[in-house]
Amino acid sequence: MASYAYYPGCTLYTKARELDLSARKALAVLGAELEEMPAWVCCGAIYNTADDDFAGRIGATRNIVRASALGDTLVTLCAACYNVLKRAKARIDDPANAVERERVLNFIDEPYEREVRVVHYLDVLRRDIGWDAVKAKVAKPLAGLKLASYYGCLMVRPAAVLDFDDPEDPQVMDELVRALGAEPVRFDFKTECCGGYLVVNRKDVARESSARVLENARAWGADAVITTCPLCQYNLDRLRDRDGLPVLYFTQLLGLALGLEPDELGFDNCAVDPRPMLAEKGLL
Amino acid sequence: MAEGKSRRPEVAGPEPAGTQSASTDKPAISPVSRRPRVGVFVCHCGINIAGVVRVPELVERAKTMPGVVVARDYQYCCSDPGQQIIRDSIKADKLDRVVVACCSPTLHEATFRKAGEEAGLNYYRTEIANIREQCAWVTKDRDEATDKAEDITRLAIARATHDESLEPVGVTVNKRALVVGAGIAGIQAALDIANAGYEVVLVEKQPSIGGHMAQLSETFPTLDCSQCILTPRTVETGRHSRIKLHTYSEVAEVSGYIGNFKVRIRQKPRYVDFDACTGCGLCMEKCPARVEADFERGMGKRRAIYRLLPQAVPNRPVIDAEACIYLQKGKCGVCAKVCPTQAIRYDDTEKFVEEEVGAIVLATGYELLDHEKMSAYGIGRVPDVIDGLAFERLLSASGPTQGEVKRPSDGRVPKKVVFVQCAGSRDREHGMPYCSKICCMYTAKQAILYKHRVHDGEATICYIDVRTPGKGFEEFYQRATDEGTTYLRGKVSKIFRQGDKVMVWASDTLAGRKVELEADLVVLASAVVASPDGVELAKRLKMQLDGHGFLTEAHPKLRPVETLTGGFFLAGCGQGPKDIPDTVAQASAAAAKVLAMFGQDKIFHAPTTAWVDEDICVGCGNCELTCAYGAVKVDLQRGVAAVNVALCEGCGACSVACPSGAMSHRNFSKKSIYEMTEEAVR
Repeated sequence: MASYAYYPGCTLYTKARELDLSARKALAVLGAELEEMPAWVCCGAIYNTADDDFAGRIGATRNIVRASALGDTLVTLCAACYNVLKRAKARIDDPANAVERERVLNFIDEPYEREVRVVHYLDVLRRDIGWDAVKAKVAKPLAGLKLASYYGCLMVRPAAVLDFDDPEDPQVMDELVRALGAEPVRFDFKTECCGGYLVVNRKDVARESSARVLENARAWGADAVITTCPLCQYNLDRLRDRDGLPVLYFTQLLGLALGLEPDELGFDNCAVDPRPMLAEKGLL
Repeated sequence: MAEGKSRRPEVAGPEPAGTQSASTDKPAISPVSRRPRVGVFVCHCGINIAGVVRVPELVERAKTMPGVVVARDYQYCCSDPGQQIIRDSIKADKLDRVVVACCSPTLHEATFRKAGEEAGLNYYRTEIANIREQCAWVTKDRDEATDKAEDITRLAIARATHDESLEPVGVTVNKRALVVGAGIAGIQAALDIANAGYEVVLVEKQPSIGGHMAQLSETFPTLDCSQCILTPRTVETGRHSRIKLHTYSEVAEVSGYIGNFKVRIRQKPRYVDFDACTGCGLCMEKCPARVEADFERGMGKRRAIYRLLPQAVPNRPVIDAEACIYLQKGKCGVCAKVCPTQAIRYDDTEKFVEEEVGAIVLATGYELLDHEKMSAYGIGRVPDVIDGLAFERLLSASGPTQGEVKRPSDGRVPKKVVFVQCAGSRDREHGMPYCSKICCMYTAKQAILYKHRVHDGEATICYIDVRTPGKGFEEFYQRATDEGTTYLRGKVSKIFRQGDKVMVWASDTLAGRKVELEADLVVLASAVVASPDGVELAKRLKMQLDGHGFLTEAHPKLRPVETLTGGFFLAGCGQGPKDIPDTVAQASAAAAKVLAMFGQDKIFHAPTTAWVDEDICVGCGNCELTCAYGAVKVDLQRGVAAVNVALCEGCGACSVACPSGAMSHRNFSKKSIYEMTEEAVR
């Protein structure tokens, strides 16, 4: 069984527990394992773009250094962790930053065993496992389900560094949706802002932003929105009245399609319970 | 004028006289039969050269070089007195080679060679030492510049020392032209050539001629109806006794060379006998199959048996086999039943026709950028986002709505229309980096025409810059603003559907804010791109294309309608985006070039071509594989390579590829290259 070093990050241990659980279980069905790296620390939560942000990068880099004990690939799930870790890695990889790299690694003062590739869970599905293999393991095809894949900003930008997908019309989750037997909805707001951290001090702005995303997804006929970002999930799911489109982590529906028990997938954590909709589609 | 009767030239075909066989004449192995007498003339080019290179010193050094009997300098050698000095010196000093140290040979090589020829020196015995572009302009230090100029001059002398006297190769010209593409460019070129008295073969892939111009409503900046000004030309073309029209056809293959091309034309099956058909149109009325009409850009439908437009030339329908119920399922046959002249031929197949021509005009045209590349603009996904050509069809009196502006989703008259300029143009990330040139004007026109049709309608144009370089263009743009069009300066970031509206996110860079516009219809001025079929043909013909698929002209300023391949000329948007007046002007220019060629019985080709030493050649065929022009072929019977000098452009690739050293280049032989190299590293 293939095993990957895994960085869950803080949110997946708290608010987004269902993302972590469903992802691990689903990957096990697909014949791979997420091995949680030891002694992981905060990724930094946002990537500071200040020119000199020595301290701000230490946490992220420390995680990369520690993951190097386990292997050459570090898998993440939270969009923010993915963004921060991958950019921190790119920063120390840049030959122009050789001095900084040395400074940071000296400060961390732990063995950096090998170069580590920071990837997203979706990369593992797309590149290592492949859609055909995913399709072959689908026990309960999500037939009749129309899903809007919402990527937000952190998964795809800055495009040159993340090199994850088309920054304006990303496709990877849509491909997954297809592999699971559901129908991807080609909506317009795949990468528009959910409101982000404005939810803290300008709830009105965040509410308006996230409402537009949902409105557009609904206009294109979606039954639910899927995402990989805990902040997006929170803003879309919670900053509104308690009705409307369910907002799920893609791993929850992946798990459902792979035949996991619905009770294991944390559907009850969603503010808008997706279960009535799934039951109506005959998927529960 | 010969009325194109001489279709088959007297001496032409695969082995034109004085070409292939002549190339087997061995040049004298030792070119220096007696001591060479070289004259060196150094040009000051004002201060261009003399400001950096110490010309008098260079002249003194040149005098000591081997073979040099005279060295002189002059302010401007290209001037009349400058040329006279060279002519006089050739006679007085009995020169048998001349080296002019001056600017690039692309500028004045011909000038000096002609001057030498006037004084009795063979044209190919004058060489240029480029001490301006390759020395004076790129060197600061005067000592270094003078040394480098000396090296360059010495190399040119070494080369000249091995120059032989050569005579240009004459090729007979088949005075008949092929024009590919019958849009306004091809039509204009064909008419100009035909009206001068020569036969033209005009090939068009669509069932009728007229190209994109036939789709347009009215034309800027005069607002004259596109059909009204185009149809006199299409009618004249269709009826011209010297224009042979092949519609619904494509060029499959071109062989031969300048003056003597053989063209194979693929005629798609039309399922209608063009001779029997009278164009009455009964079949099109009765046909039960309806499909989206490409010509209407998704704004209207047509039958399976169709013509593009009522004024079609030729006025004969064709059957779209994919849409035809009879051809797909074997039942129906309505068109055959109603046809009064029994012209329907369900068993029609594709046919090939051969034509022989002397010159080819490529007028392969444009398309609009594939909307998949602009996913943020919603076209293809949001029904009320359409491109400029689709809007032309909505405005056109002969279009699917008879000129009434109705939006595609629900047929309502849009009260708010947003026009988006640079949808894919000037956009390095999503589209094309270049400016499509016509969009500023046609968008202004479309806004004006929309306001004429819908008086209480609002037209907003999102633009980055408005470019109006043309006669009457700026005034036309002013007219659009005067008539109430809102111009909003900023790029559009996103277009999406909300309810029955189309939302447009843009920025207003003059007010410094983001804007959200609500529209009933959005019209994208999509980037003009080279027609994919044209690109495919050009690649097969080994034409040079720029990075975006546009045909490359021989010189961007001075040879704008010629290509680097002899006998091929360019016209219209296949060469780059342009409006109708520019297209017509360019088409007439291409026709003039063809006529200049047809004005001569023979055309002459530089004899500085590849040459095979048959004693050495083993017939391995590397040269044939390397040749980009198809000029070298291995003669399988004799087992040696043979050069068709009429096709050879003298690039030298075969000489490099030849493993045995049999292939070489006239007046650029291996020996002269060795000696030049020796001089260079001395």
